[in-house]
Amino acid sequence: MNTKLFSPYVPRPVTLVEKTPLSDFVTRFTFEQDNGKPLAHKPGQFVNLSIYGIGEAPFSISSPPRRTNITFEIAVRKIGAVTSALHALEPGAKVGIRGPYGSSFPVMKFVGKDILIVAGGLGYIPLRSLLFYQLRHRDEFGRMILMVGTRDPKERIFVDEIADLAKSGDVEVLETVDMPDSTWKGNVGVITTLLPKAELDPGNTFVAMVGPPIMYRFVIAECRKKGIASEQIFVSLERKMKCGLGKCGHCQINELNTCIDGPVFCYTDIEAYQEAI
Amino acid sequence: MTTYTVYKEQLPGLFEKWSKLYALHVPARLREGFYDLVPWKKDLEIAWDYDVAYNSAKRFVMPPHEALITYDRRTCEAKPVFDAPKQILFGVHPYDVKALNQLDQIMEAGSPDQNYIRRREATVVMVFEPLTVSSSAFWASVGASSVAHGFDLYWTKIGPAAFTVEVGSVRGEELLGMNGPLLASTAGDKEGARRAKARVLAKARKNALRYNWEETPRLLAKCWDSPLWRRYSQMCLACGSCNLVCPTCYCFDIREESDDQLETGVRSREWDGCMLEGFAKVAGNHNFRPKAQDRYRHRYFRKGKYIYDKIGELGCVGCGRCVRACTAGIANPLKVFNELWEETAHEY
Amino acid sequence: MAKPKIAFFDFAGCEGDQLQIANLEERLLDILGHVEVVSFREVVTGHSDDYDVAFVEGSITRPEDEIRLKEIRKNAKVLVALGACAAIGGINCLKNFMAENVYREEVYGGSARWFPTYAARPLKSVVKVDAEVPGCPIDPVEFARITKELLQGRAPWIPDFPVCVECKQAGNVCRYEMGKMCLGIITRAGCKAACVTEGAHCWGCRGLVPGANLDAARIVMDRAGSDRKATQDLLRFFLGDTGAAL
Ligand SMILES: Cc1cc2nc3c(=O)[nH]c(=O)nc-3n(C[C@H](O)[C@H](O)[C@H](O)COP(=O)(O)OP(=O)(O)OC[C@H]3O[C@@H](n4cnc5c(N)ncnc54)[C@H](O)[C@@H]3O)c2cc1C
Ligand code: SF4
Ligand code: SF4
Ligand code: SF4
Ligand code: SF4
Ligand code: FES
Repeated sequence: MNTKLFSPYVPRPVTLVEKTPLSDFVTRFTFEQDNGKPLAHKPGQFVNLSIYGIGEAPFSISSPPRRTNITFEIAVRKIGAVTSALHALEPGAKVGIRGPYGSSFPVMKFVGKDILIVAGGLGYIPLRSLLFYQLRHRDEFGRMILMVGTRDPKERIFVDEIADLAKSGDVEVLETVDMPDSTWKGNVGVITTLLPKAELDPGNTFVAMVGPPIMYRFVIAECRKKGIASEQIFVSLERKMKCGLGKCGHCQINELNTCIDGPVFCYTDIEAYQEAI
Repeated sequence: MTTYTVYKEQLPGLFEKWSKLYALHVPARLREGFYDLVPWKKDLEIAWDYDVAYNSAKRFVMPPHEALITYDRRTCEAKPVFDAPKQILFGVHPYDVKALNQLDQIMEAGSPDQNYIRRREATVVMVFEPLTVSSSAFWASVGASSVAHGFDLYWTKIGPAAFTVEVGSVRGEELLGMNGPLLASTAGDKEGARRAKARVLAKARKNALRYNWEETPRLLAKCWDSPLWRRYSQMCLACGSCNLVCPTCYCFDIREESDDQLETGVRSREWDGCMLEGFAKVAGNHNFRPKAQDRYRHRYFRKGKYIYDKIGELGCVGCGRCVRACTAGIANPLKVFNELWEETAHEY
Repeated sequence: MAKPKIAFFDFAGCEGDQLQIANLEERLLDILGHVEVVSFREVVTGHSDDYDVAFVEGSITRPEDEIRLKEIRKNAKVLVALGACAAIGGINCLKNFMAENVYREEVYGGSARWFPTYAARPLKSVVKVDAEVPGCPIDPVEFARITKELLQGRAPWIPDFPVCVECKQAGNVCRYEMGKMCLGIITRAGCKAACVTEGAHCWGCRGLVPGANLDAARIVMDRAGSDRKATQDLLRFFLGDTGAAL
């Protein structure tokens, strides 16, 4: 590459190869890198996706890292300009991406340990990357427990996949919805109500959680109650983002830049920051 | 570093030469009481005694609107846009250069911002030791009265028609020597420069923090819950003026527009500010700093703590621009920091 | 793909905005190359026309306007308010602060023709408005951008911050620092602070910025030496339909 012409603001093209609706508003998009290389991301990182003429927005990478495969997945809720335009694309269309950016879940630390994955709402999307990475190296980890909370059954995403995980026996799955309808037979209540249901070995368990802002405080309190230390808790935080490079200032949590210092943080590192959680 | 003595009558000749190679900007009076750096032209009267340039120097290295990439919607290709006009900023005050040096650190960290870096490299900075001090400035009390680097030449007026010029770069020395050999400053001239600095410092110290500026981060750490934030922010118009006029504020938004054929387009950055209501608002209308007091406090923490924690300097160089720009009269860091100091004085 | 159909309509206003668009000439041809203009101004009631985007200017001042506007709404996928009158009621709302007879006299002179009018109001108080091109007159550059955004399938972006932002970007000396009045502190940006840049001050033609701090703005104007009456007149000029004018 001519480094003289390099600018970190320039996206590179990727091609949409598959589009799978997951719920009324959420769709999974599979892209292939036009440069013929794997994305080389770590679980928890994100890409900045551009649809030219519309804008650019950050999305977590939902697929696990792949060594030779040049595809990667994101799953997106239709909510504004970029996300709507993305939903209007059909396979074959090209978009631009920058990244992968940001911090990741420290998978090496999790080796030999139990992992509790707590996914609220769309939080399952980034956690999927971690989950499937660990499943690929299943023997290296202890117990894997997945807790999924959704507002109502209609909003559940990756329903079949999560059911298969439960059946496989590799992952212990606990699921709940806040507002059940007539079809729902499972647990009812916010995600925190699942924690007392699980027997955990607090000294040997790491927690990875992603969910809406209000979820963190309560889930962390439950974990602490169980005797899990702050150093064992990892969260991924969402903020407004523009540059993804630690320059534009939008994603600040006190003095941290979520785009480069995060989005994945160890709870000890943010506990003292008033704006974090 | 070498210091030369230059006389006023040499300036027109130098300006003439420089302006052929660079866009040359010099301080001039806009109207009674208002000064700014403006494009030099022959016979323009230089405002040697200007107190503060209405607009800070950041616009020369990070313009309010700046193209970052061009894109092609048909092929989905994007290319960087670099625009770095060769320019000389003559007569910038030290505190503004200190602010530029801060921007350098932020923009060079991590993934270097090539657009910024190229502009900065194409910009020759000639500092001028101030002769007067704006009534709202307090740079002498926040460690911003001198700069040791980040400039090409440092000019000090030592008499009605004489300057000492300290060399900060080879490029600066070459520019200064364009019209022939230079006269090294005598010890007496250097002493004159020292005295000129002392004179302006005496004036600048009139408006000061009540404590050593290095205490600011520790002071703020105690003041997260101070009632001051709410009290003042009730008047806040969320207009962002305090951010935009600030020489150290660099936050930006990124927006784009396609051409009229809807085929290609330009994505650019635009000055933004953390005081604007929508700055931390995301899709679906969740706002991570919903209240005026959250945003108001954030700005002071940026100035007094966050930047310090990153680079060991205050994010405020005391230029006083925000003090004047805030129509609500609440954006004064000196006043706020001093009041917080009073508020917490009993704890020291 | 079929070209999207767009239509223009007007209600009470000065038609200054269509003039602005006509002024875009060449550019408009390029942009309009992507669309089919199906109607300029007249709407046939009861006739089920359909258009993808309806640009509507003028404010609503008579009961029969409402019927016509609702018809337009029904036929349009996207309805865009064009100009201050349509977006915020604009200058037409001045009459809301005058006695009926005074107003009638001023507008129609001695020959007061009589037809029923009521308090002038923006389109959004009658129908759902999807997007706005605010301003009096509209900024043709912004109109072009918004049209292009609609054509590219995105909800148009308009600034949600005050005029001061663009005024500072332009490097203007603030009117308040010159001892003058300015409504930029509460007015939605997007005009590049045109009036201040040209040496005047902001009149508020683009409407209130979301979350405008009106109490603070009044105090700022007070302190700047504006008397109550002058402040009120300024606030009523364009912002008659908003809480600012009370
Ligand atoms: C690290 C990270 C990971 C994310 N992962 C996912 C994901 O996997 N799936 C998903 O559906 N959403 C995810 N989001 C949220 C997603 O970025 C926003 O929904 C998206 O930016 C909305 O863009 P828009 O143009 O459709 O909305 P608009 O409201 O039109 O937003 C305009 C612009 O504002 C910025 N912006 C708005 N909302 C957000 C936001 N929530 N976060 C960051 N920037 C924002 C973007 O630059 C966006 O283009 C993630 C956000 C972050 C920060
Ligand atoms: S905060 Fe105010 S005084 Fe400090 S550098 Fe910025 S504009 Fe100048
Ligand atoms: S300049 Fe004053 S009113 Fe405007 S955002 Fe800053 S503090 Fe608020
Ligand atoms: S002149 Fe008006 S728009 Fe400009 S900064 Fe001052 S108040 Fe704001
Ligand atoms: S400055 Fe104010 S009055 Fe003038 S065009 Fe802009 S919004 Fe309208
Ligand atoms: S997104 Fe710009 S600093 Fe983080």
